[in-house]
Amino acid sequence: MANLAAGCCAANSRSPARILSRALPATAHGHTSGRFVVNISRYNVSSLVSDAQEVDLISRTNRHFDRRMALLAQWATAVLIACAVFAPAITAQATTPTAARSSAPAHKRVAADAAPGAPVKTIGNRNAPITMEVFSDYQCPSCGSFFENTLRAMIQDYVANGKVYLVHHDFPLQMHTYSGQAARWANAAAMIGQFQDVDAALFDNQAKWPVDGDIEKYVAGAISPANFKRIQAILKGCAAAPPTSKADRTVPQVDPSCPVDQYIVQDIVLGYQVPVQATPTFIIHYKGQSYPASSGIITWPILKQFFDTLLSQ
Amino acid sequence: MTQNETRRNLARTLLLLGRLALAGIFLFAAYAKLKPQAALPWSGSSIKTSLSLFAMQVDSYQLLPPQLVSPAAHFLPPFELFLGLWLLSGVLLRYASLITTLLLAAFFAVMVRTYMAGLEINCGCFGPGERLGPLTLLRDGSLLALALAVTIGAFLQGRKRRTESAPVPPVSAPQRAD
Repeated sequence: MANLAAGCCAANSRSPARILSRALPATAHGHTSGRFVVNISRYNVSSLVSDAQEVDLISRTNRHFDRRMALLAQWATAVLIACAVFAPAITAQATTPTAARSSAPAHKRVAADAAPGAPVKTIGNRNAPITMEVFSDYQCPSCGSFFENTLRAMIQDYVANGKVYLVHHDFPLQMHTYSGQAARWANAAAMIGQFQDVDAALFDNQAKWPVDGDIEKYVAGAISPANFKRIQAILKGCAAAPPTSKADRTVPQVDPSCPVDQYIVQDIVLGYQVPVQATPTFIIHYKGQSYPASSGIITWPILKQFFDTLLSQ
Repeated sequence: MTQNETRRNLARTLLLLGRLALAGIFLFAAYAKLKPQAALPWSGSSIKTSLSLFAMQVDSYQLLPPQLVSPAAHFLPPFELFLGLWLLSGVLLRYASLITTLLLAAFFAVMVRTYMAGLEINCGCFGPGERLGPLTLLRDGSLLALALAVTIGAFLQGRKRRTESAPVPPVSAPQRAD
């Protein structure tokens, strides 16, 4: 080692070998020291390592060192790039204060603002451990399928057993001609406590009433004539076009002569806050925590599994 | 440094960056699916809940029967974590990148099929809340292209390394004709 270090200073001024030479005691460099000179001369005489071999060894050491340093630099650069790319996404995910992340259920915030006598578009026990809020459009086929294949089973099983409290929010899409009008019927029914029957009737006959817009016929078939007359009375002044959600997220106009429009608009605004990007969209709340909004058709066994996981927490 | 060496170093650097980018993406994807989705601390229970939530996203693709949805949802995030770590380690890179490419190709095909079918659902790619749309398709298509490039690079580098390290056949001495 001493020989290599001594040799390095003469043969190659750069390299880790030079660093090694710096670590040697000062006397080792002193050419006036007899013992050192003897040693050097002994190495030279015996020719254990020739100059050419020494240079080759040093240059190989240097190459290895350079390569390692280059690799280290590449890794450091890559890690920095990865951090720069992913840090904003991670930070955004951690700090975005969406309505879905807020701990207060959306429907509870609305209920606090709603006027007395507001329609109750809920099914089940308000004190159930799980609250599920569904943003739906009565004319949207996916919403119909979600209601028939998932929500109906859920209502019969987990809502009836007091495990889930189902909250309906209207989010009529502009692209559907009659969904706003259907929402009016559902809200008027909710005002007289007949929401569940009318809600089911609208979804059950989803393939029929959008053909000619004759929603009245199917609502009349779902409730008693007396209740139907009360609903008709509520909707008497609703002549203008019903409110629907807009692609540009503007708040739709409320028809002052139609008592249910304000409630539909409230749901639409709430949907914008979630944000609802498609229907059906649902949010699940459990133990004061809100889980991120999900969209699309989820089958009952999978939804039930999620509820069971929550209940087993 | 010769031009050849410069080119080789550049290729090596690009391969490294591509590999690390893929590793980072897969690790982030696994993290986003496994992390507690509500304001809960990390625990076995919160991971179980996150996986159940991810199962709903898998289900919304309407591709698998309900009995296969849950196993798929419980397999994918840990597998993404494993792939991310494998890519990060650089061990047997050819196989790691090949499996990554195949997985991304499968994801991309499913996403295109779902988008073409008009289903308006969440992508589920990096956790919940991201709608499947043209931008997500573009992003996943780009990731697939990156994975393909890394795979090709890894195979080419492996072949070059094998060629360089192959032993030189000994030169037989010329035989003297008596």
